[in-house]
Amino acid sequence: MSDAKDLVLVVEDEPQMRRFLRASLGAEGYRVREAWTVADGVREAAAEHPDAILLDLGLPDGDGLDLVRRIREWSAVPVIVVSARGREEEKVAALDAGADDYLPKPFGTKELLARLRVALRHSRALASPGSPILAAGPLRMDLERREASIDGRAVHLTPIEWRLLALLAAHAGKVLTHAQILREVWGPNASAQSHYVRVYMAELRKKLEVDPSRPRLLLTEPGVGYRLADAPR
Amino acid sequence: MTLRGDRRRAGWRGYAGAVSLVVATTALGAATRAVLDVPDFEMLYVVAVLVSAVFLGRGPAIASAAVGVLAYDYFFVPPTFTLDVADLRYLFTFAMMFGIGLLVSSLADRARDAAVRAESEALRGTLLSSVSHDLRTPLAAITGAATTLRDQSVDEPTRRELVEAICDEAERMERLVGNLLDMTRLASGEVAVRREWVPVDELVGAALARTEALLSRHRVRTEIPGGAALVSVDPVLLEQLLVNLLENAARHTPPGTEVVVRAAGGPGGLDLEVADRGPGIAPGEEERVFERFHRGGRATGQGAGLGLAIARAIAEVHGGTLRVTARDGGGASFRLLLPGAGRSPTVPSEDDAGPGGSV
Repeated sequence: MSDAKDLVLVVEDEPQMRRFLRASLGAEGYRVREAWTVADGVREAAAEHPDAILLDLGLPDGDGLDLVRRIREWSAVPVIVVSARGREEEKVAALDAGADDYLPKPFGTKELLARLRVALRHSRALASPGSPILAAGPLRMDLERREASIDGRAVHLTPIEWRLLALLAAHAGKVLTHAQILREVWGPNASAQSHYVRVYMAELRKKLEVDPSRPRLLLTEPGVGYRLADAPR
Repeated sequence: MTLRGDRRRAGWRGYAGAVSLVVATTALGAATRAVLDVPDFEMLYVVAVLVSAVFLGRGPAIASAAVGVLAYDYFFVPPTFTLDVADLRYLFTFAMMFGIGLLVSSLADRARDAAVRAESEALRGTLLSSVSHDLRTPLAAITGAATTLRDQSVDEPTRRELVEAICDEAERMERLVGNLLDMTRLASGEVAVRREWVPVDELVGAALARTEALLSRHRVRTEIPGGAALVSVDPVLLEQLLVNLLENAARHTPPGTEVVVRAAGGPGGLDLEVADRGPGIAPGEEERVFERFHRGGRATGQGAGLGLAIARAIAEVHGGTLRVTARDGGGASFRLLLPGAGRSPTVPSEDDAGPGGSV
């Protein structure tokens, strides 16, 4: 399934969790490096250039979010936070600090591998020259011609709806927080509030979803933000 | 049982009660002036102070003693209709009324505290026995299945079955632990309600997405006219409430039956209903189903009977109500009513000039 030889750095102080992650990632063909402190994690990240990092937040020498902030100074490597801190505020804090995704403990292997694949694909897409076509499930957006379609049916979007949808599609499969969406769509200085995002999402759902109260494409992460479904479900 | 202590809700109501008692006593005294003697009125006021002390608490008791003394002096103690005191004896009466008020109210307080403590001891007892049972049961299955896999050689179908059991039971434990944490946070009043304006269908959609697997064998229908209307709620808590109602429906109603989610919202509040075609609700059970650790008669052993208690607690921290009624034609209907929270905010309209902005 994965490109063999992708290197995953696991930063986790709990030996049983490392054991489980080593086994399940290894079985999937990933190479695994392990660290159990913030300091070690930063050192490993700098020396080994991993393709992705799985990061626990409660580490013996500090908070995992410090590691994200430090690594972000020089690297765009995808970071998936895996943590027993499952509160929404904590997820938002991790994502806003620069993590790419957040997986609350306990989680299953399937979920972990799916998130990892999405993260790896994004980092590769960012590295390669951009394509003017964004596609996710039934959705297709042609950025050059500014045309959107769902299941082959053309959809007419207002400028804000277009920016919002293009942003979500560019990060398909990844959660974007309300703050990130507001900043990207309405601009860093806009006085927009989080209900703007919700109202425009409701409009997009009306145009794109068969049943807006049972969305298949534009998914809500309550208290955190939104995620555009990566594949038809 | 309510989740937040409402015993000490004395507040202004207690004081108003104390003053009304004194007013009533004065009226009674005035009406019986022909029959009773001055010292008898004193006894009437003492009764008023006692009643305040026992039922309203210390503050109102002292207030009723003070107001009572003034009223007694003004209306009944010669010279009447003045606050002058002719006889030193009455000063002693006043001191006595204050003393009785203080003493009885502190006794009543102590008795109340003891009752509360006994109640919470009993609750802690139920909680511990219920939790330890509910945690041990899945843990026992996990330990059993895992040690079998480690220590014995089993054929492939058995191995699969044991592995499935481990996964299912772990999931059950996770749900229980999550519920316990939610319940503890809600009961301790630690939860801050973070209200935001959210479209109704987004709340329902998020909850349906989370319960999709659980309800895969039910027919789920939504009726949300004007689903984009904004309501002011804590989206995380409200989604939890809805998930709990849907889980309850999934667990207590047979596969193939219909579950209907109706919602109407706006500045006037939120009116939301989850209706099923299950065994319904027995008369007299309408309140008990919301008690902690209550399990419906047909519970399948899942959960610890916390889901509905959590749902109601969430309704209450929003200032709303959650009730269940039997449905015409069978089944139960859970209805959430939340009060409005002022005018919903507006979003500046944009010129619909077709796709324009850049990403």
